[in-house]
Amino acid sequence: MAIYLQIISNGLMLGALYACLAVGFSLVWGVLNVINMLHGSFIILGGYLTFFAWHLYGIHPVVMLPIVAALMFALGFALQKLVINRVVSAPVLTTLTLTFGLDMILYNAMTYWFTATPRRITLDLGAVDLGSVVLPVDRLIGTALALVLTLLLYGVMRGSSIGRAIVAVRMDRSAAELMGIRTDRIYAITFGIGALMAGVAGVVFATVFPITTNVTGIWLGKAFVVCVVGGLGSVPGALVGGLVLGLVESFAGHWFGPQQAITAGFVLMLVLLVTRPTGLIGVRGYE
Amino acid sequence: MFAQGILRSARTGLLAGGLASGLLAAGLMASSPALAQETIKIGAPLALTGGLADEGHKQDVVWKMWVEKVNAAGGIPVGDKKLKVELIEYDYQSEGQRASQLAEKLINDDKVQFLFSPFGSGHTKIVAGVGERYQVPTIACVASSESVYDQTLKYLFGTLSPNGGMTTAMVAFFKEKFPQTKTIAVLGRDDVFPKSMAEGIAKAAEAGGLNVVYKELYPVGTMDHAAALSSIKAAKPDWIYVTGYTQDLILARKQMQDLGVTAPIVTMVTGPSYKEFTEGLGPLANGISSSSWWHHLTSYEGQGVWPTTAAFYEDFKARTKGDPDYVHGSCAAAGEVIVDALARAGSLDKAKVRDAIAATDIQTFYGPIKFGPNGMNLSRELPIIQVQDGTIKVLAPAAIKNADMIAMP
Repeated sequence: MAIYLQIISNGLMLGALYACLAVGFSLVWGVLNVINMLHGSFIILGGYLTFFAWHLYGIHPVVMLPIVAALMFALGFALQKLVINRVVSAPVLTTLTLTFGLDMILYNAMTYWFTATPRRITLDLGAVDLGSVVLPVDRLIGTALALVLTLLLYGVMRGSSIGRAIVAVRMDRSAAELMGIRTDRIYAITFGIGALMAGVAGVVFATVFPITTNVTGIWLGKAFVVCVVGGLGSVPGALVGGLVLGLVESFAGHWFGPQQAITAGFVLMLVLLVTRPTGLIGVRGYE
Repeated sequence: MFAQGILRSARTGLLAGGLASGLLAAGLMASSPALAQETIKIGAPLALTGGLADEGHKQDVVWKMWVEKVNAAGGIPVGDKKLKVELIEYDYQSEGQRASQLAEKLINDDKVQFLFSPFGSGHTKIVAGVGERYQVPTIACVASSESVYDQTLKYLFGTLSPNGGMTTAMVAFFKEKFPQTKTIAVLGRDDVFPKSMAEGIAKAAEAGGLNVVYKELYPVGTMDHAAALSSIKAAKPDWIYVTGYTQDLILARKQMQDLGVTAPIVTMVTGPSYKEFTEGLGPLANGISSSSWWHHLTSYEGQGVWPTTAAFYEDFKARTKGDPDYVHGSCAAAGEVIVDALARAGSLDKAKVRDAIAATDIQTFYGPIKFGPNGMNLSRELPIIQVQDGTIKVLAPAAIKNADMIAMP
């Protein structure tokens, strides 16, 4: 029994991190209909900023959180405004190819500057031992941060005029334009928020996982699965998708061996694609 | 009259031009074989960007050091001449498919006479296949899985010894140092080399009388080991053995600490062989043991541009400010195999050179190199190492030992 409690807590903590990494990707895909291949590299860029601030200047990752958020938002906003907006209404394959190309530039530039050597923030905060369950403190903080940030984004989307404008553009671009919403600007803000969320996920991840450009593709793949499982373009969708994926991987790893953990996640995605293409809590018509 | 003049001068011009180009062509034809013979070309598809960039750069730095040294000494003696070496490198971006295309380009366009294979058993398999097709001798310096050499490739030679040498000796050594060791848990990355090490240690442990209480593989791209480690914790092993590449092992060690998973002996392969591992883990690296193919504390002597291990170490240190690891040692030694084979073959004839490489039996700063029937360097005693206070200590073999083994803190 004790081991199941441990597996559930492992799964939930991992799931919250997955939700945090996927929410920006989901938003950009849902609103802009752009599959942002840069997302994994954005996460790692956020991680590197955090690592070097800590390693060179001793700045705590928590302090870096708002700084990385601002920098990544600016980067995402500029990228969308200057580059991606030019082709944003083209078929999805065009924007996918564009972001793929941009990703190759960013990925290789990071490998060139930082090398692919795995780096780690050695804070090592220890663990809370509850007898039958051990909870690593950095993962707990990561989980809390991931949840807070995701809920914060949810609040912004529900309660602010920018958030409502983003939702309006997502629902019907032409109608939103007729209502006086400047869609180009909303697109740039949305992409900026996507990059911001990737960046802060990077800050959270930097304390938990080794940072290396090797893993950009892995994080991108996870974001993809979480979106399909949870449902596209919505914050609760990413949260549910992340938690479900974390739990499924955790249980599959225990029951069928770690070799099958990733497979189980993809099987879940395939099953949902067939039975429920909108994802667990997605809205029909937005898949 | 005027027109005739023009015609004549045009004819003279054409004649002169024709003659000149003819002479030029003749000159080129005469000089091209001479040019081709003036250098020995070695082609290297390298992972200079992408996931294996760090490993690729390690190969790059020692090969350049070696080429400079060889050329400074006048080149490689072949017959009665000394030929300079030209190293042609292309970045294959850590993509296996591209490595194969670049190997073809090196052979067909650049006309290389030898190939240096890239990092890892997987990519070596790919490049060696191309070398075999064109009968170009391929020297692999970072491929130790026997499955790569079991494909009857006649032109592939590897300077690392078989993985097997790393497992049996380790089981015996640990049993001697920690006689209470009865059980082992093995977690390996599902990839050519880490998988063969995981399977090798499980076999060696069983043969050595240990009980294998957990043995699983994790797929490439795993970013969470919590499930596997929770299962290992429940099995309470005396020895935990994890294989993978640096990022996997850093993550696994960190999660072991987080989840309170420990054992008197924790081995990670090839973790501590790389300084990135100890740097990335900090104090968490202490106590972790491993095995390696070579260590700079060894003291070998032999032929080549570096007469002793110490000479290589000094040279490397001066150039990079860091310590060399087994990748540096093995790859630098790969060049010596070519020098020795060309001296004995006395020509650049592919078949003769291939046979000369197969008959290699030399002593180098890296240790002895003698290829078995499958093209792999023969087994020898490999160092068992452990991280103690952030530095690498050699526990065995006795000749180069500089510390006693400690239990995990």
